Parts: sequence; structure tokens; C-alpha cells
Amino acid sequence: MRYVSLALQYRVPIILGLTLIISAMLVPGYVSATTLSLGLDRAATIGLIAIGLTVLLIAGQIDLSAGSVFALAGIVSIMLQPQLGILPAAAAGVVVGMVAGAINGALVVGLKVHSLVLTLATMLIFRSIAHWITDSQPVTGTDIMFSLALAQIYLDVFTVRSALFVAFILLLHFWLTRTIPGRNVFAVGSNAVAAEESGIASGRILFFGFVFAGTLAGLAGVLQSLVTNTGSPVFGSTLIVTVIAAVVVGGTRIEGGKGSALGTLGGVLTIGALTVAMEFQSVPAYVQQVVSGFILILLVVLDRTVSTRRKATASRPSLVQGNPIKQGGSA
Amino acid sequence: MIGKRNLLYVAAAAMLASTGLAQAKTVCYVNAADSHAYATPANEALQERAKELKIEILSLSQDFDVQKGTEQLNTCVARGVDGIILWPLDPQAYIPGLARAQQAEIPAILINSPMGEEAKPFVTSFTGPDVYEEGEMAADALNEALGGEGSVVIIAGQAGNGTTIGRVGGFEDRLKEIGSGIKVLDTVNADFDQQKALVVSRDLITRFGDELDGVYANDDTMARGFIDAWKEANPSKPTPPIVGINGQKDAFESIRTGEMHATIVQSPVEDGRLAIETMARILDGEEVKDRLPIPLTVVTKENVESVEPAF
Amino acid sequence: MTEGVVDIARMKPGDRFTRGSKVVDALSKAGLLIAILAVILYGSIANAAFFSTGNFLNVLTSMSIVGIVVVGMTFVLVVGGLADLSVPATIACGAILSLGLQPMIGPVPSFMVAVALAGAIGLLNGVLVGYFGVNPIIATLGVGTIGLGIVQAAVGGVIVYGTNPASAELVKGRLFGIPVVAIIFAAIAILGHIILSRSFWGRWTLATGGNYSAAEASAVPVRAVKAGAFVITGLAAGISGGLLGLTLQSARPLVGTGYEFSAITAVVVGGVSIIGGFGSVPRAIAGLVFVQLLTNVMVLEGVRTPVQGFVLGALIVCAVGMDAALRKRGGA
Repeated sequence: MRYVSLALQYRVPIILGLTLIISAMLVPGYVSATTLSLGLDRAATIGLIAIGLTVLLIAGQIDLSAGSVFALAGIVSIMLQPQLGILPAAAAGVVVGMVAGAINGALVVGLKVHSLVLTLATMLIFRSIAHWITDSQPVTGTDIMFSLALAQIYLDVFTVRSALFVAFILLLHFWLTRTIPGRNVFAVGSNAVAAEESGIASGRILFFGFVFAGTLAGLAGVLQSLVTNTGSPVFGSTLIVTVIAAVVVGGTRIEGGKGSALGTLGGVLTIGALTVAMEFQSVPAYVQQVVSGFILILLVVLDRTVSTRRKATASRPSLVQGNPIKQGGSA
Repeated sequence: MIGKRNLLYVAAAAMLASTGLAQAKTVCYVNAADSHAYATPANEALQERAKELKIEILSLSQDFDVQKGTEQLNTCVARGVDGIILWPLDPQAYIPGLARAQQAEIPAILINSPMGEEAKPFVTSFTGPDVYEEGEMAADALNEALGGEGSVVIIAGQAGNGTTIGRVGGFEDRLKEIGSGIKVLDTVNADFDQQKALVVSRDLITRFGDELDGVYANDDTMARGFIDAWKEANPSKPTPPIVGINGQKDAFESIRTGEMHATIVQSPVEDGRLAIETMARILDGEEVKDRLPIPLTVVTKENVESVEPAF
Repeated sequence: MTEGVVDIARMKPGDRFTRGSKVVDALSKAGLLIAILAVILYGSIANAAFFSTGNFLNVLTSMSIVGIVVVGMTFVLVVGGLADLSVPATIACGAILSLGLQPMIGPVPSFMVAVALAGAIGLLNGVLVGYFGVNPIIATLGVGTIGLGIVQAAVGGVIVYGTNPASAELVKGRLFGIPVVAIIFAAIAILGHIILSRSFWGRWTLATGGNYSAAEASAVPVRAVKAGAFVITGLAAGISGGLLGLTLQSARPLVGTGYEFSAITAVVVGGVSIIGGFGSVPRAIAGLVFVQLLTNVMVLEGVRTPVQGFVLGALIVCAVGMDAALRKRGGA
């Protein structure tokens, strides 16, 4: 029994380990430095957005607009290249992401509306702007050599993007676990009323959570556009689903108050490893969908099982707290 | 550290060797989607022909997501395949990936859709139909049906999608080129979806009424949507000349009954086969042309009985 | 998720009950009606073709298919289930099976089987959400992904065509000048309205969404009620998909893409609270009517597709913002 609960507790590393072991056994040529660098690079785009979303989910919010911000920031970073040069244009793209995040944050905090609905709306708005300014045509950058340089693999493993992703996730881990603002995010996410009462400015934390998420989605979009030398209004249209799945697989609760940066790293790597393994075997996309959907459901159900177990001895109200809707209802 | 890494390489090399890579060539096929009316038969034809040619196919599906495809190109390069067949969904975004393939001395060809001029140095050949050319042929067909003048609407696919851009661009450019008097009243996006086309068509019919002399739909499903909307609004009036693309079975039926003027047939089977055959020739060291088209046939009432529908 | 955390943080206990207060209710209802009238007025002035029976019938027919999903989605939001993102999968299931099984078992049984299977997918969502306590976003996302994957694997790339033209004629036809799909939509909407506002199930749904633990304490079978909302949406999306397949006489696996967001948009614009516990079918349908009329006017006026998306997004922001503002004033 103890092993079961231990296994449940460490389900993210276990599932990642299982994925890697099974892939290594079934997929010829899987175990190599190239696969690792490839998997990391594939995971980086999802991963950068996932970093922002992890913070938001812990704070009890969600951002559906990340895919649109991703496209918009990339477009801006390409369109401004002739005027500003590559690096300033890239910075402008990241700023666009930041502004988009600030708009999301200001609206959610200011209007006091649910972020699910609000970011659904801004998802439409940002995507429309992306189509608008490009006239629905992809735009091309000025220097393809820069794109090639950016995709260079260093130390046999890292590309610029994947190095950034790993660095950021470690920073996030430190921030969430070792700093007071980081811990406050958890407090806001698990019980906003109590957090407010104990003097935490939950509104400000939420606002900056959205700014952070927007900035990272923007950064991911800019990197994607630089690597492909293209900004396209259709980029990232299905991205957010994968990102949410990766974060949740990593054990972060969509209800808020619970989650970790390393968990997200695990989730992102699991999805990345799985995708690369299945692609190496020519597994059709729809089968890949079924597999990842199944893993998502499995891990979330396991997550519920863990929390029910732990809370089995606790009082009734704490059981109630586990559920988002109940929590909203009892406030 | 270095020793460990070398060990990994050795292990990887051993595994690669044990799969029999030495005898059979492996070709990476980055396709548009696995489940799609046109793409699926094209994929199947390609796979089947590859088996006959004793070529291993590593099939990756973009699922209509350009970003996924650009990353899949890296997978292909990392796998050290012998050749790459890419189904581009964007005229530019794959160029860096193709450049990396070239650095790794992996020949690449495009299937089904072309890319921009800048991509030319990085691909050996482009096989298949040309969506731009299809747009041009549709323009000719509609121009002929309307006698060179009138007002039409374009029901386009997804905004920003490579096929949409080509098919709309080719149509508009061709009208200009031949100095046609046809005026495009409006271009609306219906995302290659019959229901969306039905809804926008209802509105277009209400909006333009008798002004509407003809319709160009980016594919036959959307043409179908327009026909249904027209029948709702004007049950007794015949439809204006409608030109679609793809050559679906039900479009052939509509041409027979006169509901549609023309469609353009491209065979997914030939599309898939030509790509892998071209790749096989490249792998054998042959020179191939940089453009290998598959036949495109304009189907009207005259030849509808003699042409096979595409799917 | 602590939805509208800030919202909750600022609210004192008891506020929630004023949300349904008559004044606020009337105000927000009137707001939407005024908005609908404004669109009609603008449309009539701007475009001669707008104010005609033909055009209104068009709007009615176009909104019926998504409208049926809206009825189901209302239950999900009211019960506090956030949203059902598996709608594209259930619609595809409805459309493909109701056409694909026709040669084997005939049109009517095909339709029944299709709807039943869609309902079963809804039940799976419901069990995960209601009984396992999985967050609805994740549960429906996962189930939807799996469902669509299976549908695609089963169908391959084939377009499924209908083989029974009579059934198509029936669905596309008119009864007393009213399109049949619109009549079916109206019947489902009325049924949904009666269940939600007049039956014990509706009371339970509102209670569960309003205050889960209080409802549980007063012996409401909260888990079943919550699961039920997803079953209802599954069935509704199945019917909607079946009708879609029959009208189009062809179906593809991705036929239902985007319907989940259209339905959520309509429900939210109608002022149904995403936190649960408040809302009605007529409100959601008013939201749908508004969105559809606005889109219709925009297309008639030749507004470009991206701009339409922009307007729709801005509209949602306004609707939820206004709703929040009204609620706050009502509570004060």
C-alpha cells in the first residue's frame, strides 16, 4: 500500500521514465544525443509557454490566448526587421507579448471576470489582429542565415531555445519555492479570500501573472518566427491544448494552488519524448492524439486519487476545498 | 563525459545498423495530415509505391500545423534519412529546415504545393499539382462560362493557409492577365467547410441577389455549400455558373445535373506516386527536373463522363 | 480553479444570492434585448436586404444547429461545469454515424445510434467530472482528443456521404414555411427550458452550481446532477451533429471544429455565469440570436473575416464586463 501511494506521488518522473524506457526498447536509434537535443528543441516552444501557464494555473487562472499571442509576437518581430534590425525587432515582439499579457491581466483583474471567458475573447481578438496586419499572408524575415545560426546545436544537446527553456524553468522553480512572491502565488491560487485577508495583494499578483505568461508566449513566438524566418497568422492555432496538457500532466492543478516548475518540466519532457518516439515509428497523428489524451486523463485521475487519499483523514470542509466549483460556491 | 557520449553514439549506430538501414533507403515524408479526403489517398499511394520500390518511409503528419512541420523537418535531419518529401503548408517557413537538410546532404523535394522563389535553391524538385495553377485554370473556366464579364464571389479556404493563398492568388492574377471583365464582388473565408460555406453563401445571396453572376469556390465542398444555399433561397432558379476544385464524386454529380459548371481534377494517387518515384530516381543518382507536374483536368459537362473523379 | 478569484475575494457571503435578484436580472436581460434591437435597427438602415423574411429565415436556419449545442452547454455552465470542450468530437460522432450507418440499419436507427453514442461520450465526461472530481476543462479536453482520434482512425480520410436522400429532404424541408431544423431546435430549446426552470432536475442543477456543499447537504445528488449536464450536452451535440450530417449529406471527422467556442460564446454573451448557479436557456438563446444577427449584418456589409473575429472578441469582453458590473451594483 505504501508503495502504491509513493508511486502515485512520483507519477510524473515515473511516467517520464516509463516513456523513455519503452521508447528506448521499441524505437531503434532512440537513445542518442541527437534525440535528446531534438526532443528538447521540440519541447522548448511548448515549454516556454508552459512556464507562463504554470504560474497562472497555480494562481487559479488560465490563458487561452497564448497561441494567438505566439503568432502575433512572431509576426511583429519579423515585420519590424527592415526598420529596426533583427534583435530590436525581436525585443519588440516580446514586448507585444508583454502588452498582450497586460491587457489580459488588466481586464481579468479590472472587470473581475473569469479568465477562461476573457482569454477566449482575447484569443479571438489577438488572432484577428494577426490576420489583419498581415492581410492573412505569411511574412518573411530579412536574414535566413540568422535563422540557421539560431537553430545551431551547442554542446551536442542544446539549441538556443531549449537552453532558454531549461534555464527559465530552473529559475521558475527557485522563484516559486524560495521566494515570498512565489509562495504568495500559491496562496492566491488556493484561497484568494484568505490571501487577501493576510495582506497579499492578489490583484497585483494576478496581473503580473498574466504579464509573465504573455511575455513568455511572446518570447516563444519570436523564437519560432526567427527559427523559421517567417511570421504567420496561423502559427500556434492548436498550441494551447498541448501546453495545457503538458502542464497538467506535470501535476499542476487547473484549480489553482498546487503545482511546480519541475513538474511542468517533467510534463513537457514526457510529451516531447512521446511525440518524438511516436514520430520515429511513423505512428499516425490520430493515434498520437489518442495516446496523449489517454495519458492526460490517466494522470489527472491519479492526481485526484492521491489527493483523496491524503485528505481521507482530514475534515470534511477540506475535502470540499479540493473542488473548484464548490470553492467558488462557498465563497 | 566524452566517453559516455561516444558510447551512446556507438549504441545508436548499432541500433540503426540492426534495422537494416544499410540495404533499404529511408525517406522522410512530412505530410499534411493523416485523416483527410485528399491527403489520405495520396499518403497511401505514396506508401504503396514506396514498398514496391523497396524504400522505407518515415511518415510524419503535420495535421495542418505549419509549426509542427518545421520541427518535424529537424526530426528528419536528425534521423539521418536518405531523402525528404515535404508537403508544404506555408510558402516560407520551412526554408531554414530545408537548408539544414541541405547542409546534411539530404535531398528534399516538395509534394502537392509549391513554396516561394527563395525555397528553390534548397529543393531538388517540386512534384504534383500547383494550387496557383489551379486558381488560374478556375479563372479561365469561369471567364469562359460568363463570356468574359460579370460579377462573382470567391468562397475561399482558411485565411493564411497556403492552398487558399495559391488558389485565390492564381485566380485573381489570371483574371487580370487575360484582361477579363469579371469583377470580384467579395472574397469570404469558409475554411474548406461545407457548413460554413452554406452560412456565408446564404448571406452572400441575400447581399448581392441578382448581381451574382458566378461563383468560384476554393474546393468542391464549399461549392456544395453554395449550391445548397442557392436552392434554399431560389428553389426554382438555376444556379449561376460555379467553379470548384478537387474533382470530388458529388461535384461530378452536380456537373451532370448542371448545378455546377466545372471542377478541376487532380488525382491524389498520382500526386503521391509521382513524389516517391521522383525521390527514388534522385536516390539512384539520376537528374530530375525541378518541376514535375501531375495532369490537372478541367471537368465540365462535356467531359464529365470520360474522367474519373479524384475521390 | 477559483474562478474569478478577485470576484470572490471582494464578495461578502450572501452576495451570490443577490446575483439572481430581480433588478439585476431585469437589467441584464433588457440590456441584451436592447442590443438585439439595436443590431436589427442598424441592419435595416444599413442594408436593404437585411430586414426581410428570407434573411431572418437564413439566420434562423444557420443558428439552429449550433443552437442545439447551446442548450446543452447552458446546463454545463449553470451546474458549474465551466465548459464542454469535447463538442467537436461528439458532433463528428453524430454526423459520421448518422450517415455512415444508413446503408446497414436505415436512417432513423442510424440517427438514434449516433445520438446514443454521443450521449455515451457525454456520460464519460460526466463520470470523470462528477464522480472522479476531474476538472471539466481537462476531462472534456482529454475525452474530446481521444474521441476525435478514434473517429479519425475509424474513418480514415474518407468523406462519408449520405445514402438516403429522403432523410435529407425531410431535414432540409419546411413545415408551415418554417425550416424543419429550426422547429427541432425550438422543441429542444423549450424542453431544455422546462427542465432547467420548471423541474426538480433544474432546481438541482441550479443548486449544485450555486453552492455545491449546501446542495450536497440538502440531499441533492450533486454528482449525478453534474454528470447529467455533460450527458445532456453530449446528447445535444449528437443531435446537432446528426442534423448537420443530414443537411450536408456528407461528413468529415473535423466537421464539428469550432462549435464548442461558438456555443460558449453564445451562452456567455447571454449573461449565463461561468461560475455556475445562474442562467437560463432563453438567456443563452438571446445571446446566440445577438451573435448571429451581428455576424449576419457584418457579412452583409462585407466586413472582412478577421475584423469579424475582432468584433466578436470585443463583444464577449463587453458582455462579461457588463455582467460583472451589473452584478456588483446589484449586490451593493
